[in-house]
Amino acid sequence: MKSSSSQIPFATGAPALIWQILFFYLPLALIALSSFIQLSETGEFEGLTLSHLTNFLTPTYMKVIGSSLLLAFSNACLCFMIGYPLAYFLAFSNKKYKNLLLFLLIVPFWTNFLLHIYAWFYLLEHKGLINQLLMSLGIIDTPAHLINSRFAIMIMMVYYYLPFMVLPLYSSLEKFNYSLIEASLDLGASWSNTVRRVLLPLTSPGIRAGFFLVYIPSFGEFAIPELMGGDKFMFVGSVVAQYILGEGTGSLGSAFTLLSCAILLVSAILLFLAIGWILNPRRHRV
Amino acid sequence: MSNRLSRVSSLVIVSLTYLFLYVPIVVLLVFSFNKERFPAPWTGFTFKWYNELFHSLYLWKAFANSLIVAFFATLISSAAGLCLVFYAAQGGRVGRYMALFYGNLIIPETVLAVSLLSFFSSIKIPLGLTTLVLAHTVLGLGLVVPILYARYLELDKKLTEASLVLGATPTQTFFKVTFPLLRPALISTALLVFIISFDDFILSYFTAGSSAQTLSLYILSMLRSGVSPVVNALSALLLFLSSFFVLLFFSLKTRVRIF
Repeated sequence: MKSSSSQIPFATGAPALIWQILFFYLPLALIALSSFIQLSETGEFEGLTLSHLTNFLTPTYMKVIGSSLLLAFSNACLCFMIGYPLAYFLAFSNKKYKNLLLFLLIVPFWTNFLLHIYAWFYLLEHKGLINQLLMSLGIIDTPAHLINSRFAIMIMMVYYYLPFMVLPLYSSLEKFNYSLIEASLDLGASWSNTVRRVLLPLTSPGIRAGFFLVYIPSFGEFAIPELMGGDKFMFVGSVVAQYILGEGTGSLGSAFTLLSCAILLVSAILLFLAIGWILNPRRHRV
Repeated sequence: MSNRLSRVSSLVIVSLTYLFLYVPIVVLLVFSFNKERFPAPWTGFTFKWYNELFHSLYLWKAFANSLIVAFFATLISSAAGLCLVFYAAQGGRVGRYMALFYGNLIIPETVLAVSLLSFFSSIKIPLGLTTLVLAHTVLGLGLVVPILYARYLELDKKLTEASLVLGATPTQTFFKVTFPLLRPALISTALLVFIISFDDFILSYFTAGSSAQTLSLYILSMLRSGVSPVVNALSALLLFLSSFFVLLFFSLKTRVRIF
């Protein structure tokens, strides 16, 4: 089969590759490049500069990037803590319920997420259902401040990103041989030791995939913080959107995008190594 | 002992999680039938919001735009992905290009969206349905190519070898042996791309411009203008639609992992 490769034109493989390069890598390269370019007021090329980038090396912008990192990290951790037991349950539960539970997990995931934001408005608003319920029960007298808070942002983030965590965990756990757990318990290991030294290390591909499928997009998320936070909190996504959509601030926007992407990648590599270290079963001494 | 304890606690966690997932949805659905606007309590049953929904012209225009974009993005990305696998099946060394498509997972969608926006404006492509399709196809390729190629590698090579030994040309082998084996995976991936494109918000927000509104952007404008039971009615409709798609996806039984 290999011998025929010379007769077959590369053309059939080309469209996907060209499209990917033209509409994925080229725009990214353009953004990276334009963060170093100084334009005159009429939009003409004046020279190369680092000033767009250094412009953002201030505590204010570092705080924005920091809060995005924190948001992404806490979201990924919360999703993991909720998602792992859920995926475990799904993988080892009765087949009858399994399909129904998977179905119920994916339906909201495949429905426009702005509608879920809207649904949480109903619950969290000043006169929303949670406040009404708490007040009618006499637990609080005045409506609690639920919407436009970090709490509201976090709830919505976990709500939206949970399936991104559960589905890879589920497919990893489904391949996991359950008798290994039984063997470990029969041989006298405690349940927590079994989890730490058998279950988690052997499902680490799913854990990694889930973690980064949540972590990376959460970092750039801007619809949820804006709609649930009520413009009160600044995250990377909203700053980027502001600069890029603003008049004449395009290269500043590019620079900020480049800077935050670089920080995101460094943090992702560190987290990747950290997860590998945590999940390494040899780390534990007997 | 502690195993049983963890079973009980995981049952509790699972039920709480599903409660967390479905309480907002149920509330939304219940209030789509309420006579008064929120935050009024339950006053009576009505279909008037659904009636209003079906007469909202802008909404159906946005709905149609979303369908068009999702359709073309799915079509182009599936066709391009299949062509790439065809090239691989003819002996092309596709493996070394695969890394190109994993970039979609490492770069946040917001970054891709703003990059595309400045790219389109610098080469003077007017924003609209075309740019939406161009952008959403990238999203599609990031799913179709890795999934389809992984599926292709899993296929039993004996089948294609048998076909070649028995005298079929490589092209005939692809269309008579490889393609039928890949078809279920192709269909379910296409369905996945369609849904993701249809529901996409971030890419649409930056690459739609002002002329072409997608359903997500329409919902956003409704959210900004305040709570209206028409949105509840729309949610009911879309939940019904996505349930249908999920059932369709399950019934394919292809074991394509969503991730």
